[in-house]
Amino acid sequence: MSIPPTIEVRGLRKVFRQATTGQSVVAIDRLDLTIQPKEVIAIVGQTGCGKSTFFDMMIGLEAPTEGSIHIGDKSPYSDFDYFRGKMATVFQQDRLLPWRSALDNAKLPLELMGRPEDEQRERALMWLNKLGLGQFTNAYPHELSGGMRQRVAIARAFAVQPDILLADEAFGHLDEVTAAELRDTFLQLARECGSTAILITHQLEEAIAVGDRIAVFGKSAKLLADIHVNLWPKERYGELREAIQATLQSQKADPRLMQPA
Amino acid sequence: MAHVEHRESVPVLTFPRQTIVSLLVFAACWEGMSHLAPLLGIPPFAIPSLLRISKSILTITPIDIVVTLARVIAALIASFIFGLVLAMAMYRSETLDQYLHPMIRILMAVPVVSWILFAVLWFPGVEFRIGFVLVVVCGPVFLVDTLDAMRNVPRELRHMMQSFRPTTVQFFLKLMLPAIVPTIFTSWKVNISLAIRVVTIAELVGAVTGIGHQLSVAQELFSVADVFAWTIVLVALLFLLEALVARVEHRLLRWRS
Repeated sequence: MSIPPTIEVRGLRKVFRQATTGQSVVAIDRLDLTIQPKEVIAIVGQTGCGKSTFFDMMIGLEAPTEGSIHIGDKSPYSDFDYFRGKMATVFQQDRLLPWRSALDNAKLPLELMGRPEDEQRERALMWLNKLGLGQFTNAYPHELSGGMRQRVAIARAFAVQPDILLADEAFGHLDEVTAAELRDTFLQLARECGSTAILITHQLEEAIAVGDRIAVFGKSAKLLADIHVNLWPKERYGELREAIQATLQSQKADPRLMQPA
Repeated sequence: MAHVEHRESVPVLTFPRQTIVSLLVFAACWEGMSHLAPLLGIPPFAIPSLLRISKSILTITPIDIVVTLARVIAALIASFIFGLVLAMAMYRSETLDQYLHPMIRILMAVPVVSWILFAVLWFPGVEFRIGFVLVVVCGPVFLVDTLDAMRNVPRELRHMMQSFRPTTVQFFLKLMLPAIVPTIFTSWKVNISLAIRVVTIAELVGAVTGIGHQLSVAQELFSVADVFAWTIVLVALLFLLEALVARVEHRLLRWRS
């Protein structure tokens, strides 16, 4: 397993022009962020703060207006093809292809990488088994529950054993018990794989539960706080949650976040 | 759920009781009319008896059916390829779409009869004329349907697919084509019906084989029975082709059942 490269976001800016009004909207305004290899970072922020735009830019589907994202010495946008099989995504909805069985969905990224058929099948089956779906490999998405479909989506992401995993509100639409269970599995597998994981979420409990770090985004993805969760004792998680909430409301870093210990 | 059951039922050409009853009522009315016609001053050849029509059916030449069928199938395949390839190109290139879209709209607005006249004036070969008319009428339908279907593929799925960085070919083969299969089948069903009607008209003008030509001969001979017999063949052909497409559709889309 190779060590995933460091992710460096420098002076990142994204401006959209609204089609109807012609006005410019600054979605991300000069963001600086460094994500260390194998780190699990949760990005929290209110709706419309630029989290999803950041996600799209991380996976290389949107070009920066200014600034850069570098993963190692490569850019996910300019060196788009380089990251085939090195980066995988889990979305809010499972986004499974309805005409493919669970197995065929899980092996999709391996097909795109041109892996031999045997390897595709073997690896997809392995990940489906790890996610407890060994008996449902031939089931179509509409035959599975929401939680099971999301497990297939996670298996699809892990099938390529990516260096970088991105999850955009991946557990937000599930019931609390299923979400917690899937979150734990996801985290455990990410650690097993040695992947760097970036989780976009609006749920503070989720961010605190999974993140080594929490980046709190204000409007236009302004980095309001960069929290190392392991510096906070578990019994003060409630206070941490309140401090993040206060930060999001005031759009200024809460003083409690400065000196956690 | 220990295992997932896949129930499969193959669609067959069925005739419900209501269909049979309505056909029998129609046949009875027709037979009655054929006997009443002379009393009403209508010439007997205008409404021939079922026996006379049956005799005409027995004289039908299979080669003409085969020729028409071959023309329809070949033209539909050519139209489909033309429509699909152009739709993919227009989906990829907004500029191409902006230039071609008005032309496609104009092509679709031209009446079939005009195309037949153009074909007669432009091309010497009968087969080419018929093929041209069929492709120019059916091709744009395939194109517009396919392009619309591609644009309706959910953004979420396109986004997911792109996040795994497929090549352009993979993007079309693994996502776009399977996603638009239901629309492609609907388009085939519409075009089969269209092609059967258009080929008949095209064969009426200039062809020396095919069902359209035989209809033209029957008209020259004032044989309503022959016209009726060939019409029955055309309708049967249409139902047969539609049933065939429905069977393939069911097989390919069994994941939906």
